[in-house]
Amino acid sequence: MIRLVARRIGWALVVIWFVITATFLLTAAIPADPAKALLGPHADEAAVERVRAHYCLDRGLFAQYGCWVGSVIKGDLGESYRSKRPVTEILADRIWPTVQLALAAIFLQLVIGVPLGILAAVRRRRWPDRATTVVTLLAQSAPQFFLGTLILYVFAYRFGWFPISGYGEPGLDRLWHLVLPACTLASVGIAYYARAIRSELGDVLGEDYIRTARAKGVSERTVVLKHALRNSLGPLVTLIGLDLGVLLGGAVVVEAIFAWPGLGREVLQAVLEVDLPLILGTVVVAAVAIAVANMLVDLVLIWLDPRLRDR
Amino acid sequence: MRIAALVLVVCACGAPDRDPRWRGAGAKTPRRGGTLHVATNDQIKSLDPTFANDEVSTYAAQPLFATLVTYAPTSAELVPDLAERWELDADGVTYRFHLRDKLVYADGTPIVAGDFKYSLERALRAADSPFYPYLVDVVGAGDVIQGRATDCAGIVAISERELQIRLVRPSPSFVFILTMKFATPQRAEWVAQWGDQLRRHPLASGPFIRGDWDEGTKISFVRNTHYWDPSQPYLDRIEMLENIPRDTQFLMFERGELDTAERLSAPDYVWIVGQPAWQPYLHQTALMRVFGARMNVTKWPFKDVRVRRALNYALDKSHTVKLLNNAAVPSHGMLPPGMLGRDDGLVPYPHDPATARKLLAEAGVPPGTELTYVTQNDEQGETLAASLKGDLEDVGLIVNVQLVSFATLSTISGSVDGPDFSITSWVGDYPDPTNFLDVRFHSRAIADENATNDTRYSNPELDTLLDAARGELDPAKRTAMYKRAERILYDDAPWIYDYHPVTTEVTQPYVRGFELHPIWVRDYTHTWLDLDANGERIPR
Repeated sequence: MIRLVARRIGWALVVIWFVITATFLLTAAIPADPAKALLGPHADEAAVERVRAHYCLDRGLFAQYGCWVGSVIKGDLGESYRSKRPVTEILADRIWPTVQLALAAIFLQLVIGVPLGILAAVRRRRWPDRATTVVTLLAQSAPQFFLGTLILYVFAYRFGWFPISGYGEPGLDRLWHLVLPACTLASVGIAYYARAIRSELGDVLGEDYIRTARAKGVSERTVVLKHALRNSLGPLVTLIGLDLGVLLGGAVVVEAIFAWPGLGREVLQAVLEVDLPLILGTVVVAAVAIAVANMLVDLVLIWLDPRLRDR
Repeated sequence: MRIAALVLVVCACGAPDRDPRWRGAGAKTPRRGGTLHVATNDQIKSLDPTFANDEVSTYAAQPLFATLVTYAPTSAELVPDLAERWELDADGVTYRFHLRDKLVYADGTPIVAGDFKYSLERALRAADSPFYPYLVDVVGAGDVIQGRATDCAGIVAISERELQIRLVRPSPSFVFILTMKFATPQRAEWVAQWGDQLRRHPLASGPFIRGDWDEGTKISFVRNTHYWDPSQPYLDRIEMLENIPRDTQFLMFERGELDTAERLSAPDYVWIVGQPAWQPYLHQTALMRVFGARMNVTKWPFKDVRVRRALNYALDKSHTVKLLNNAAVPSHGMLPPGMLGRDDGLVPYPHDPATARKLLAEAGVPPGTELTYVTQNDEQGETLAASLKGDLEDVGLIVNVQLVSFATLSTISGSVDGPDFSITSWVGDYPDPTNFLDVRFHSRAIADENATNDTRYSNPELDTLLDAARGELDPAKRTAMYKRAERILYDDAPWIYDYHPVTTEVTQPYVRGFELHPIWVRDYTHTWLDLDANGERIPR
């Protein structure tokens, strides 16, 4: 087991290195000069050259890469060109709002998506199943910029039930501000979870051991929730892991619509302003989040299904 | 359940009452107190005046920092601020500023002439400050920039209340530069104390001080009780939300969560200008900006002046104005309305496709000639590019539109290998033609990379004229020179001149004393709230 975990960690490190190297090369290929973006259109050549030298942008690509990777290994992600603020400090500020949003979205996906999936599976080809199919199809098809704007307009602007945007104060106010962005972000996940559970649970409910349990007089509730559901959780665990990784990387659209001060909005701004240290720093965080989430998924799956340990 | 759903849909679809929900109390004179709630669609990067140069950081710097001179509340006229008066010596190169008596920062420590010297030298020394190029006319500035000196010989604190700045050549526009926030006084000990954290801890000399700041979310400004003018500001506090998209701002404004809505998006603008109830609360001003299309005049077909004129005749500016919902003034050149040297006798090139076709034929540009036009990949850039494409196709040219990001456009436009034909714009820092014409059309500003003269237009007559006008101390002569320069640029047409944007903001009826400023855009120093005796809003 320890060797397995060590191997997974090793692969995660390789993936992280690959992602940040690829991002570095891609940002270097952008036909935009960060010094020019920093100084604005009024800057003359001498001013731009002075800033390029200050940030080592006048050195060769390999020298810049070596300089940057060396700093990253020491835990220093550099300084944002625009705000002169350490990237680690910016990310530390932005990660908590993103974590709250991600966890709230996953929570909603679980508490709404899983029961919907169970309902659809146990009432297959009846109206609950058909209704679930329609709702999940709509949720999957509606783009988040549309759905977010719509629910903002209806529930915040027209009815005034929720704040229009912002982060709120810690406590109940924060929770109140979290509802609409979390619902928007969770919409697609709810649909995926419901469909995954419906499909997997539907298959499991047709297995011989389920028939045996029913024949022995076990109640339907126990059959579904105790015997069938646990064996249907594999795909769900994989989905949660992937979601967690992706959501921790920032939800650009939802954060922008609801002015939620998370990583997604920060990276969007960084990309527009060619703030390379901030772009690279965010990618490092996202890559680490996805790699760690995948590793955890693998370990949970092995824990759920001991047969995987031998593979 | 079904009834509830139906009610939900009906409530959401019914037409709401969107007239103002509150009214002013009707006070005749400004009242003190209250909190103004505003928002911006971006975030503040820094409150360090030596580095803050983006739009939102500049907005945030406005209430915090006072300067030697500033602009009048509603115009670009220079008025005293921390300096009670100033004079230019007969040599035309020596400015003397006399500070007001008993000036102090927000922490109660005195503001002295040496603090201005320190602040200007800090901008010269900082390698990544965007402001040092503005000071190159100061004696000794070059030595500080190059690191050969730490003391700028041309900036001298004669006494605690007198500052002298000597220039290498006469420059009537120099005093405008001192209105920029990087020229605010800074105390060396404070800067040293906060180091990298100065971006969060400004030492205010303006009407407000920084209150709480949750970066990227919201910031507050609190009245500076040490401000030199005890009658200002009227507000106790400003709460500014950051990163609120403009559409959302308008929804929050209608709900009463904001007291102003900044630059309205097109749908909100179109709606509100048609609402009589909102008309008294709309504020508009032409910005000190200009938009158009630049051409590389060293490359075919743009090297032929007849082609450049033809393209100016081909563009229908009335389309531009319509597409921008009338929030634009057609331009005949770079200088915005009201600026010294602008020749109001010149009219924008008329839309005349026949003349355009004739000029193209004379220049030997056959119908079907393909041009590539590079523009910014945002809604406005794409819309206006489509309009330009249609107009140029009407005169027989085929235009391929290429979309790039703003950052990419900024980089490639100034490069010798950059696009020959692209969108261009200019935002003035101060209201003087040197900040427009010298930067964009003097041959000195041509370079292989990062050229601000990205048309590569070079005209010795214009260069001589701009150099002479730059140092001319007689306003009448100077105006005449710039009018001549405008005429040359109108005839030679290195740009397709398009428009000067007009910005619109709306305030709640109880917000008084607010006018959009042509330079600062937003300045809340004179704003006050017309509330009831308990400081509450009065329902309509």
